[in-house]
Amino acid sequence: MTRTSWAEKAFRYVLLLAVLALTVGPFLWQLSTSFKSTTEDVYTSPPRFLPEHPTAHNYAEVADIVPVWDYALNSLTVAVASVLTNLIGASTAGYALARLRFRGRGAAGLAFVAALLVPAESLVIAQFTMMRDLHLNNTLTAVVLPGAVGALNVLLMRNAFANVPREIEEAAVVDGANTWQRFTRIALPSVRGTLAVVAIFAFMGAWDDFLWPLIVLSDSERYTLTVGLNFLHGTFQQNPRLVAAGTVIAVAPLVVLFACLQRYFFRGAGEGAVKG
Amino acid sequence: MHPSRGVVRRTVRPAVPLLALALALSACGSDGGGGGGSSADGRIEGRITFQTWNLRAGYKDYFESLVKEFEEKYPDVTVKWQDQPAEHYADKLGADAAAGTLPDVVNVSPDLSYPLAKAGVLLNLDKEPVAAKFKGEYTAEAWRGNTLPGLDGAYAFPWYLTTGPLFYNKALFRDAGLDPEKPPRTYDELFGAAAELSRRSGGRTATLAGTPAIEDFGRYGVRLMDEDATRFTYNEPRGVELLTRYKRLHDEGGLDPQALTSTPEQAGRKFLEQKVAMNPGGANDLANFRKNAPSLYRNLGITDAPNNTGKPNMYVMGLAVNRNGKHKAAAIAFAHFVTDRKNQEAFAHRVAVFPSTKGSLDDPYWTKHDGTDEGRVRVASAKSLKGAVNYTPVVMSDEMKTILRNEVAKALQGKKSPKEALDDAVAQSDRLLRRK
Amino acid sequence: MARGDMARNDTARRDTARRGVRLHHPATPWLLLLPGLGVLAAFSLFPFLTTVHDAFTDARTLVPGQWVGLRNFRDMLHDEQFWVALRNSALYVVLVVPFTVLLPLLLALLVHKRLPGMGFFRSAFYTPVVASVVAVALIWSWMLDDRGLVNGILKALGAGPVSFLGDSWLLLISAMALTVWKGLGYYMVIYLAALANVPRELHEAAAVDGAGPLRRFASVTVPAVRSTMVLVGALSSVSAFKVFSEVFLLAGPTGGPAGEDTTLVMLVQRTGTGLDGRVGYASALSLVIFVIALLLMLLVLRAGRGGDAAERREERR
Repeated sequence: MTRTSWAEKAFRYVLLLAVLALTVGPFLWQLSTSFKSTTEDVYTSPPRFLPEHPTAHNYAEVADIVPVWDYALNSLTVAVASVLTNLIGASTAGYALARLRFRGRGAAGLAFVAALLVPAESLVIAQFTMMRDLHLNNTLTAVVLPGAVGALNVLLMRNAFANVPREIEEAAVVDGANTWQRFTRIALPSVRGTLAVVAIFAFMGAWDDFLWPLIVLSDSERYTLTVGLNFLHGTFQQNPRLVAAGTVIAVAPLVVLFACLQRYFFRGAGEGAVKG
Repeated sequence: MHPSRGVVRRTVRPAVPLLALALALSACGSDGGGGGGSSADGRIEGRITFQTWNLRAGYKDYFESLVKEFEEKYPDVTVKWQDQPAEHYADKLGADAAAGTLPDVVNVSPDLSYPLAKAGVLLNLDKEPVAAKFKGEYTAEAWRGNTLPGLDGAYAFPWYLTTGPLFYNKALFRDAGLDPEKPPRTYDELFGAAAELSRRSGGRTATLAGTPAIEDFGRYGVRLMDEDATRFTYNEPRGVELLTRYKRLHDEGGLDPQALTSTPEQAGRKFLEQKVAMNPGGANDLANFRKNAPSLYRNLGITDAPNNTGKPNMYVMGLAVNRNGKHKAAAIAFAHFVTDRKNQEAFAHRVAVFPSTKGSLDDPYWTKHDGTDEGRVRVASAKSLKGAVNYTPVVMSDEMKTILRNEVAKALQGKKSPKEALDDAVAQSDRLLRRK
Repeated sequence: MARGDMARNDTARRDTARRGVRLHHPATPWLLLLPGLGVLAAFSLFPFLTTVHDAFTDARTLVPGQWVGLRNFRDMLHDEQFWVALRNSALYVVLVVPFTVLLPLLLALLVHKRLPGMGFFRSAFYTPVVASVVAVALIWSWMLDDRGLVNGILKALGAGPVSFLGDSWLLLISAMALTVWKGLGYYMVIYLAALANVPRELHEAAAVDGAGPLRRFASVTVPAVRSTMVLVGALSSVSAFKVFSEVFLLAGPTGGPAGEDTTLVMLVQRTGTGLDGRVGYASALSLVIFVIALLLMLLVLRAGRGGDAAERREERR
């Protein structure tokens, strides 16, 4: 990529900046609102983009209403568990679907496709009744379980494994490696990029989910951050600054996580994957 | 599955499958639908749960001290307070009712208590002497507000009431050459002022940001349903008259261009952004205006919402008791304790809501001006609460409200005549009612 | 073409591999599938059976249902809103999917290049995905308002104000734009993962051959990420067909002026929710959505596989 001309570079950056304005603008608006002080009108028309008297007071007030740290810890527990279960479950299932030949492979693949189409919202009550029967309601385990292995993640992994050139694995077959060894030592390292995607999607899904944790948890001490932050929409007092601060608190970890992961994984995957 | 699966879930209220079967199973689990739970006149003891709806922000201390006080009074009772966020409250109640995990004391509005009572999970307070004896402590209007048609009784202790005036923007009135000190008081004046506003501003200033909802038909004096709440009647000539006037208002530019799609919250925001001149609201909005739209607050005018019936609209909140609870005596005692005169008044001093206990509104706090805007709105609203009604029929489901709203929109767009639109809305809603 | 050469050289070795891969214990694949299939069956497919059952009853949220046979489906045929919703959901697929397949790919190519600051841009482009759709829709409605940013720009250009949020067609199109915008970062990530597996040597070889950027895109990039494009196409078709939030938030819970913007999932929500929802009817709608989405997905996958097979045949020759 050394021959990229100056003009092409400039063109690319102009495009990038244009898309940047479109994509992060709304987020910056939330950020700006969250720093607006109570003396400032947030409903002006046209909207004002920069706070007149920036203050961190709104964040303190959010922490006052909602035990942010406790809820964030619950969310983190749920999200990390979901990442682990998804990485394991989706990669093993994806590998079997992409690389192994067996009777029922088509049916198994179709089951995951079907699960993708099931309207998740219509399952909540049945899932809740099941959790109660298992005596898991009001636990973080119950929050994790339904999304423990996402069908989409399985299909993404299947796709990734299918795209890895077979010649890489074949040497190992000749060397007498068994299925598990081929899976862990050869296939998995070749799909690091997709593993990163699955990790991000799983983390994001668990972190953002609202309805299921709300239904399955009853003690407010066990709430996840997304549910807890909903308390900021008070019945008698609407303060958009607090809601904005809450949004920033909920979203910032995701952006940071993504920023860290993308650097590590995409670079690694791009360089290390296909040298065969 | 979707770029924002989690976020979608946040806004989707789910279709709930097989709740019915689950409900049947959970009923078998308790006592087969007889008296249910423990006896209501037993000893006041045990561990009960108390669930409020989105009151944690700002009132946590109030509820914690309330619980503490009750536990001191009844040392054998432990109360566990939990608060639910604003969104998806009906879904949470549905799941709990189906799984048999409904809290012992639940914060409900009549439209929520109606389906729960119909499914047999709430205690009929009128039929339970231990609870019925408190009836005299509440205003007749409030008790009636929690009484459910066809179910023979009240299913929740009346709690706080909300009602409110009509707010208007004096600056927009002034700009249109109207006297900001003479707001409209009747429907004639309202529609007249609206026509004037849009004419003089060259169509720039709309008067209202929303289309008429069922409460508006009620306030206009339209009969909404027949006596036994089995048939809708808002297509009677008076209803057609109101819609025809709104149609004229819309044609003249008196309705915000987005009025056909705005939710009440969005309509409220239009008023905050000073894009429309008038908006109905509650006493508690004042603090909101002052905090979030100071420039509007400086120009805020307050007037009574026009009304043809002499009975203003109010919204009622209640505390229902789980019929299948294990410690019903304690649950009744606690629900009454939270809604008794002393505690209701204390709560209404903290929030701009109104107590539903008899005599409370005669207190100077609700009868004497203290010179503040809050005081003025409070006194005016409290005065209007005498004889106020909850116009929204409890049997009118959200789907029926949507039907009305969409038919009203068709009339305003000129796709149907007001009469046709209301006839169609009534026919569709009646079909849904009959299918129960 | 470079890829064809590689494939031909490798054919012999690949055959050994195929035979080799078949040499595993018969239980191995099921063992690997167990966690995924278990979760799937317990928390998705099994509960879905209740929805299927309810579709043939008149169940309400808290009231047991009676078996009513096909009545819900017959009602659907006479439900004006159902046809409006079906039309809108179908339009959504037709108009949204081409953009969600192509634009994110172009975006991925833009940030895939190793230039300074790409990490930052990748993360930044992902923010719409993580930002709450509620907040995002609020800002969009500000921008599209009669006196909002977009109309301000139009006014400066001499065009009259356009009532984006007052007209049912403009609302639907605005919601589609929001869907495309919100999906950009999401599908970009999927493409980036796929691009990471495309050997850069292919691109460089093509560049040496003198292929321009468009040729390189068509003859190197597209074939290399073809299966990912099919996957993105299938996923975005299904999610476009099941669209809810964007329309719900922009057009309002009642589906735009006079309900003209209602989509199928919005209709499910409207009829089936609340404590007194018509669960039977809503379940029947869900079932219809499920079947159509399944057909749609199979169609896209079949179309994609057809292409793959043709390509493979070409390679062998």
